[in-house]
Amino acid sequence: EDALLPSPQNISILSTNMRHFLTWSPVTIQGETVRYSVEFQGEYEREYANESWIPICECSLITATVCNITEDISATVAYNLRVRADTGARRSQWGTLKGFFNRITTSLTPPPMKVIADGYHLLVELKDMGPAFQFCVLYWKKGQESRMHWKMVKDVSSTVHLDTMEAGHDYCVKAQTYVETINRSSSFSQTQCVRAQGGRSLWL
Amino acid sequence: PRTAAHTGELYCSLPNPRNVHFESINMKNVLHWSAPEGTGEGVLYKVKYSVYGIGKWIRKPECRNINRTWCDLSNETADYEEQYYASVKAFLNGMCSDWMETARFNPLTDTKLDPPMVNLSSTEKSISIILTAPEKWKRSPDGESVSLLQVYPGLQYNVSVLNKKTKKRWFFSISNNTLVVPWLEPGTAYCVSAQIHVTTPLIHSGFSKEYCIATLKDKTA
Amino acid sequence: RISMSVTEIRSGFTAIKANIQARDPIRTLSILSHPQSLHKVKSSDRCCIIHNLFNFYMDKVFKHCQTEDSYINRKISSIANSFLSIKRKLEQCHNQNKCLCGQESTEKFKQILANYEGLNITSAAIKSLGELDILLDWMEKSR
Repeated sequence: EDALLPSPQNISILSTNMRHFLTWSPVTIQGETVRYSVEFQGEYEREYANESWIPICECSLITATVCNITEDISATVAYNLRVRADTGARRSQWGTLKGFFNRITTSLTPPPMKVIADGYHLLVELKDMGPAFQFCVLYWKKGQESRMHWKMVKDVSSTVHLDTMEAGHDYCVKAQTYVETINRSSSFSQTQCVRAQGGRSLWL
Repeated sequence: PRTAAHTGELYCSLPNPRNVHFESINMKNVLHWSAPEGTGEGVLYKVKYSVYGIGKWIRKPECRNINRTWCDLSNETADYEEQYYASVKAFLNGMCSDWMETARFNPLTDTKLDPPMVNLSSTEKSISIILTAPEKWKRSPDGESVSLLQVYPGLQYNVSVLNKKTKKRWFFSISNNTLVVPWLEPGTAYCVSAQIHVTTPLIHSGFSKEYCIATLKDKTA
Repeated sequence: RISMSVTEIRSGFTAIKANIQARDPIRTLSILSHPQSLHKVKSSDRCCIIHNLFNFYMDKVFKHCQTEDSYINRKISSIANSFLSIKRKLEQCHNQNKCLCGQESTEKFKQILANYEGLNITSAAIKSLGELDILLDWMEKSR
């Protein structure tokens, strides 16, 4: 008699830059507030812990149809996820995500970046995207694309010094994020070029 | 003190010392606690410690019948490949408290690090920065010095360089302890501060205070 | 990439260390570090000890550490799944036979199992989980 409610449908994952969200379509019952609860199951639970499921308490009996599962998807293994509807008096069967979710499939976007020339010094400002992220920054003297330099940047709390520039020359920079735990990188950001002191100040 | 008949132990009704914990900086490991609630002057303490896994409690003679609320156990907890517990008991007017223990103390991960020492020199157009990681606590001033670099092989430095004229601040992350910043403006003051950053285990010091130096004036100007 | 997973395990463990270690009242026995310290293991035996210890934690520890606290359980799941992903990577090294077990490491691992079996299963599992930093410190130190 418990399983009268229809189980949630269209269960899917939105995962960008290592932030993972489970979403589903609402279950609508005239005159009743429907709440949802989410559980996850890692590969460890399937293989070593009798296929047990673990509730996510932040997404227990919630009215929203989205749950931030980032904290629990904390290993590069295949996860199962499920959600069920609940009106208090009645409850649905679990609706389970079709297929596993592995964070290795997260989509990585190029990092927002600002390049600065401060006298003869080439600097870059990058946005902190969380502890999982590093930045691979490529820079080169304009016209010498074959002689690119690169620098891995981890701490981006402020303006990061890249290198010194020859007076009056133009230097170009592009960056991509790199996530070591999944060994993947984003595509490169737009290239930005600046000119070192000692020549016409022109933003190219 | 009344003796608990069945166990022969002293019956301890004095309130317990509170917040018994290690405070550790550069592996100088000092046990701290707060006096028992509601006890004024005159409370005395004694301290013992044990190596986790061996468990034999060892008294600390220098911290027997003391009225202060700290006890330096650096010597006893110097081996950072071990973990430790410490415990404190209070006495007042013939009464005593229970032994109150710390949480398990891991010197390697539970210590705080001081910022590095910063030494500067300058030329007309550059400043040179030499960083020195603090030393691990040592038994005596003439004892063998162990740099924290040896304790934390993955130790790196974050360096901040502030141009006092333009108020612009630049950041460098370096693994070795020297940094030369070339192509600077002559006759300009730069202020430098540095931080230690260890990735495994994750520990970082605060930033040092700012050390300032000016590039020499341009002789040709 | 193992180092980053170890860092993730370390941060998961740091979040539950005080809670788990407080559940282990036995000071006189250590699973991993006594009578013989992990730090005394020869580097040639490192791979074998790590391989055996990862299997030990997967097979004998995590599953017996269920608590009444859902936050703690979620962190244990996170650590266990990170262990599993590292174990997969280590298996490649073990399968390619670069992971030979010497006499010393075999003895050391027997001692660890004996320490574990000297307690009831829940106490032994909680104590082993509470000693995860001993394993991580040793793994990271000799990396």
